[in-house]
Amino acid sequence: MRGHAHLIAGYVPGTSWLHRSPLWLKAVLLLIVTVLCFATGDVYVTTAVLAAVVVLHFVAGLPPGRLWRPVRLMLVFLLLIGAYQYWQSGPLTAWRVVAGILAAVLASNALTATTTVAALLDGLVKAVRPLRRFGADPERFALTVSLMLRSIPFIIGAFDDVRDAARARGLERNLRARTLPVLIGTVAYARATGEALAARGLGDAEDRRVGGAGD
Amino acid sequence: MNHVALCGAGVSVETADGNLRTILKPTTVELTEQRIAVIGANGSGKSTLLRLLNSLMLPSSGTVTINGLDTRTQGRAVRRQVGFVFTDPLSQLVMPTPLEDIELSLRRVHKSAPERRSAAAGVLEQYGLGALAANSIYELSGGERQLVALATVLAVQPRLLVLDEPSTLLDLRNSRLLRSRLAALPQQLIMATHDLELAQDCTRALVVDDGAIVFDGPAADAVARYRRMYS
Repeated sequence: MRGHAHLIAGYVPGTSWLHRSPLWLKAVLLLIVTVLCFATGDVYVTTAVLAAVVVLHFVAGLPPGRLWRPVRLMLVFLLLIGAYQYWQSGPLTAWRVVAGILAAVLASNALTATTTVAALLDGLVKAVRPLRRFGADPERFALTVSLMLRSIPFIIGAFDDVRDAARARGLERNLRARTLPVLIGTVAYARATGEALAARGLGDAEDRRVGGAGD
Repeated sequence: MNHVALCGAGVSVETADGNLRTILKPTTVELTEQRIAVIGANGSGKSTLLRLLNSLMLPSSGTVTINGLDTRTQGRAVRRQVGFVFTDPLSQLVMPTPLEDIELSLRRVHKSAPERRSAAAGVLEQYGLGALAANSIYELSGGERQLVALATVLAVQPRLLVLDEPSTLLDLRNSRLLRSRLAALPQQLIMATHDLELAQDCTRALVVDDGAIVFDGPAADAVARYRRMYS
């Protein structure tokens, strides 16, 4: 399953302006894209922002496939939203909503494609540090988020693998054969990851008490 | 020299029907040699024995101590001394690239990001893996992945290295490469293995069968005993 995980998401090495920009600047740009798309309610602004995000993607030297992948994954969702908005409010609103979602997703895709997980981790630690006074552990928080980011492509890859396996056995229409192995594989993956982290002492908060089970 | 001691340490788990199943019978043994192999059939209890040493698993009875630290109550301190290498390196590597994974290992040691990155690059160079630093872990060969997994553990300089069948997924060439890398390490090594050549590199070997140590002695004798068990 994990063999497919690298095909989706993840950092794309490069030296572009976007690659070299600090994480905070990318986060601000992402925020601006989201606000412009969803707060202005102007179809022309949303279209312009989407175009700008696409241009930014190529300026950053990211491959075209990387632009299409999130769109492909969301295609059914986008079509359903677009159709509903078309029916309720007409074509301009439908386009504005779909283009807004696309712009936000592609902008966040550009952020993760031009930022290493280590840099994301450092950024998150800094962002959460003020919450330490309320008992938050920035290192554990950042580690959790980075593991979540790492798990998404794994789960998507697992769906692909299980679909292929089901097809090979002539079970492509069997919902159980296409979902249950993903569920089991995902739980096993989570356990293996947790065990690996525990073995390396990562995410340790404090020593366990007598009588506890193993990690 | 490390002092690893199991004192009546046993592991039992509760099965779905409420019965207790013994995975490892109460075991008392001291492990002080520099190179120790644990051999035995699949499901014999080798991995359980090893997992006790890093506090990945806690004994249901008895105690396990590493240099005087109790794995039950001082797990964090134990893990700082004991590195653990899994059979499947993909279970072990949690970041997208070798460099980032070693950086993750070093987060506790180096708080500054540039310092950490430089130290991680140094670790990769030290183990001859510098050229793989920015590769996706999914693009590495099985042997490269296992060497990277080993480097991520060695990055924090553990005093004791525990390896659970480290060469099982490797071809002959990579298995020999791993063997030579392990031979050069200054740390104490305790490894479960099906690779009897690797086991014979050790000074002492334990043969585990049905959750109990059935032989403990020189590696050559242990391998001969193990072979006889299945001849």
